[in-house]
Amino acid sequence: MRLSRKLRLLSAALAPMLALTACSGGSGGGGTGASANEQVKIKVWSWDGTVEGAVAGFQAANPNIKVEVVNAGSSQDEYKALDNAIQAGSGVPDLVMFEYFAVPYFAIPGKLADLGEFGAGKLQQDYVPAAWSDVTVGGKVYALPSDYGPSAMFYNEATLKKAGVDKPPATWDEYYEAAKKVRALGGDHYIAQDTGDIFFLLSLIWQAGGRPFKVDGTKVHIDFTDAGTTKAVAFWQKMLDEGLINTKITGWSDDWNRALNDGSLATQTMGGWLTSTLPERAPKASGDFKVALMPQWEPGTKVGAANGGSSFGIPAAAEHKEAAYKFLEYFAHGKGLSSRVEAGAFVPNLSVLDDKAFRDKESTYFGGQKVGAVLAEASEIVGSGWQYPPFFEWARSIYGDLASPFYTTGKGSLAEILEQWRQRCIQYGNEQGFEVS
Amino acid sequence: MPRPAASRLHTVGNPRKSTTLTVMTALFTLYCLLPLVWLVINATKSQADFVSTFGLGPGHEFALWDNIAQVFTYQDGIFARWLLNTVLYVVVGATVSTFLAALGGYALAKLDFTGKRVFLLVVLGSISVPGIALAIPQFLLFAQLGMTDTPWAVLIPSFINPFGLYLMWVFTAEAVPSGLLEAAKIDGAGEFRTFLQIALPLLAPAGVTVLLFSFVSIWNNYFLPLIMLKDPDWYPLTVGINQWNKLGSSAGNGALVQNLVITSALLTIVPLIIAFLSLQRYWQSGLALGAVKG
Amino acid sequence: MAQARQPDAAARGPRKPRRPQAGLAFIAPFAALFALVFIVPILYAAYLSFFQDRLVGGTTFVGLDNYTKLVRDPQFWDGVARVARFTLVQVPIMLVLSMALALALDSMRLHGTKFLRVTIFLPYAVPAIVSTLMWGFLLGVKYGLFGSLNKALGTDFDPFSPGTTLISIGVMVTWAFTGFNMLIFYAALKAVPRELYEAAAIDGANELQVVRAIKLPALRGSLVVTVIFSIIGTFQMFNEPQILPSMVANSGVTTFYTPNLYAYNLAFTGSQQGYAAALALVMAAITIAVAYAVQIRGLRNASSGR
Repeated sequence: MRLSRKLRLLSAALAPMLALTACSGGSGGGGTGASANEQVKIKVWSWDGTVEGAVAGFQAANPNIKVEVVNAGSSQDEYKALDNAIQAGSGVPDLVMFEYFAVPYFAIPGKLADLGEFGAGKLQQDYVPAAWSDVTVGGKVYALPSDYGPSAMFYNEATLKKAGVDKPPATWDEYYEAAKKVRALGGDHYIAQDTGDIFFLLSLIWQAGGRPFKVDGTKVHIDFTDAGTTKAVAFWQKMLDEGLINTKITGWSDDWNRALNDGSLATQTMGGWLTSTLPERAPKASGDFKVALMPQWEPGTKVGAANGGSSFGIPAAAEHKEAAYKFLEYFAHGKGLSSRVEAGAFVPNLSVLDDKAFRDKESTYFGGQKVGAVLAEASEIVGSGWQYPPFFEWARSIYGDLASPFYTTGKGSLAEILEQWRQRCIQYGNEQGFEVS
Repeated sequence: MPRPAASRLHTVGNPRKSTTLTVMTALFTLYCLLPLVWLVINATKSQADFVSTFGLGPGHEFALWDNIAQVFTYQDGIFARWLLNTVLYVVVGATVSTFLAALGGYALAKLDFTGKRVFLLVVLGSISVPGIALAIPQFLLFAQLGMTDTPWAVLIPSFINPFGLYLMWVFTAEAVPSGLLEAAKIDGAGEFRTFLQIALPLLAPAGVTVLLFSFVSIWNNYFLPLIMLKDPDWYPLTVGINQWNKLGSSAGNGALVQNLVITSALLTIVPLIIAFLSLQRYWQSGLALGAVKG
Repeated sequence: MAQARQPDAAARGPRKPRRPQAGLAFIAPFAALFALVFIVPILYAAYLSFFQDRLVGGTTFVGLDNYTKLVRDPQFWDGVARVARFTLVQVPIMLVLSMALALALDSMRLHGTKFLRVTIFLPYAVPAIVSTLMWGFLLGVKYGLFGSLNKALGTDFDPFSPGTTLISIGVMVTWAFTGFNMLIFYAALKAVPRELYEAAAIDGANELQVVRAIKLPALRGSLVVTVIFSIIGTFQMFNEPQILPSMVANSGVTTFYTPNLYAYNLAFTGSQQGYAAALALVMAAITIAVAYAVQIRGLRNASSGR
């Protein structure tokens, strides 16, 4: 046992030297033909660690396909790498991870293969409808959903109790009242933080029924004045204006982790994926946090939204599309799914969400709550018909530039920011060859 | 510091120590050290303590050994592989780039050739182009040559160290007496032998300085490897550690392993300190240079 | 190049080498690789700068459009003005500090010279991701050291507000690069023949006179190099403003905070490679112009001071 580990380390040590002397031969080769028993090797780009766990099972069932999973960077780094590889015409992977908003960016210019050709259409009924529509562009499926971010409200029960809020706010009006009580605790206590998080604001709009982006092929229409958008934006404007939101702590920062730990942030309205990372960020708050559906706009309704999540697609320039699809179906729908769920992936497959074992599992971190049941419900109520513009990656990158003056000085308003944002999107989109209005 | 050549004159070679000067310099070192103290303290914390205890205070448990063990076993022990890749990139890259810089610097300072001014201007102009804008063209070029995803994509760019070239030029002009070179040539030595046998030994302190800078800059090289490499087996430490750092900050199922990021960063600084300490004695040979000149 | 004159002059070499083109063979390996790594990509970038990429409809030739657009782009000039201001303040502070430290170390009047020398250089060896993590803590106002300081003193100073972020970046950059420059000056001082000091001592020169008459002139060549490279380095500032937004909110860092960051965002998130290439080339022209002007001034001052 000890010896073998040493050997492994040693061979790992020698490998760079050996490979350098032998050099360059390896990467490009492999079969071009696709006859059934020929050995193929597919390359997968994924920053979701659970995908790798499905490889062994897949290779055992498909001995002629070898799978190599590589973390080629997260999000933007990976998208740019894919663009580079496509432009260079070499090193294009066979299967690539995309956040939902990035699917149209690659699908519309024809950089992704239509998965309908491989029979993906028949998988539709296994997925939450909103997730399926996220991977569908112009009626064609370009990716399979692999994890999902139904918006939910994570709340620190202890902090809310201390503030005199006995049950989690079920509507945004109750949320507003709760926010005032939390703020009355003084110090750094706030109901939530926001420093210009566009994904959060969009999830609020989404839930309120706003559909600011309408995409039809290369035509994009942007409108931040529909009823749902107006309602959501006005509400959040009020929260900010009255100083009920911490505008100093930014999500994913060290400060954020610490504020979650010491209970000074009472709620987080975020994607369901927060379940897997919250215990690491706020270990001291174990047992305090619970999950509930997003607060509702009208009492008694149940409408949700999504915030984040990702999928996998096959580049049009990939070499082994057929084999890649086999693996994709295996880990996003088939036998490989269960291992990923066990490893912590939150997936939009109804076969998982409706599973009794999944729904009834009690989480110790969340004080014994059946978290799976809440998030499954949150997934199933996500409002339909939401679309991202194909240049959303760019749009979200500049949103901070526009929002920052408001968040630092309080001058202006969210509505004004969104209008400026729309103008910039129109200008940019048209320069990029879309028809944006 | 021993300075044999100057020891005859006590006041010059070994002056009285000044406490005032020491204190003033020490104040500056404090500024240098404070962040590093933070790094050392936090490398001893578990992930849970890192996010919940005061930054300059101790954690509830002393987890340094645990963290080091985890760094070397996380993701099947890929850290060791990254470490060796980095050593490979650094040793080959720094040696070659320093030698090329010495050759070029010597030519600029001591030899004539047509187009010298143009050459200098082109080099200076080229490095004024923001590297980030060149990354994509460089990637496309290397892809064309079939070298992306191979160590060559990291090594070849690291062979070029324009800053080292300029330093070598300045140092050669100052440290290598032309008379000595002329003498060697009159004795019948060729240009290259003169360079190797006369100039190179005199350039040792300068060479070590350039070597050290190449060493550190290749060690910390991040952007180009990130663009060029997609195979984690070829990653240098910087790209790998950054990837660990990003695991926890991207939505999804990433693990938050800041304790490993910090511990691995501390571990990567240690070899640099060792390199610095073992190279610094060469500066003493500046003395030898003075002796030759005299 | 004006500064070419200087080391040449310092060398006082014989005027007529026997083989006038011998230098070419020495410079060839560097030049060949340099062409591959820099010149070819730059020419390609120059070519790209005449095109506009579109997500829909591909690439089209647009002539000088990217350049005329750039000249009228307020975001670009905002970044240029910022790095120019930064250069004016930070580079002199850093270089004076570096030189003072190098002189102090070289004076041999310090206790623990070796320890100090390593320590001052160390920050340069810390990878950028880690150094921003560290500074995020040290300057943090909520859970960081700065926050504790504010509490203790009853002050309310925020080092990462839009008005102060640039100063904080200056603190971080100075921390990282002072030791680097110090080492160059130190190496140059090491190259000074000891006999000069002995002669000066025999002549009865005091320490300040030695510094002025021997040491400072010996640093001139290195100073030219460090000034030029510091200017280039600052004009290409990228790491700090890129990582900052993930640590602190609303520090005033925009996607066009520095020209290099702007180029990155244009090329990497905006798919505007042609525009980014044009920006990079204009930026290079500005950098060279500034470096050239500063260096001529520096030389003039140096010669008048003689």
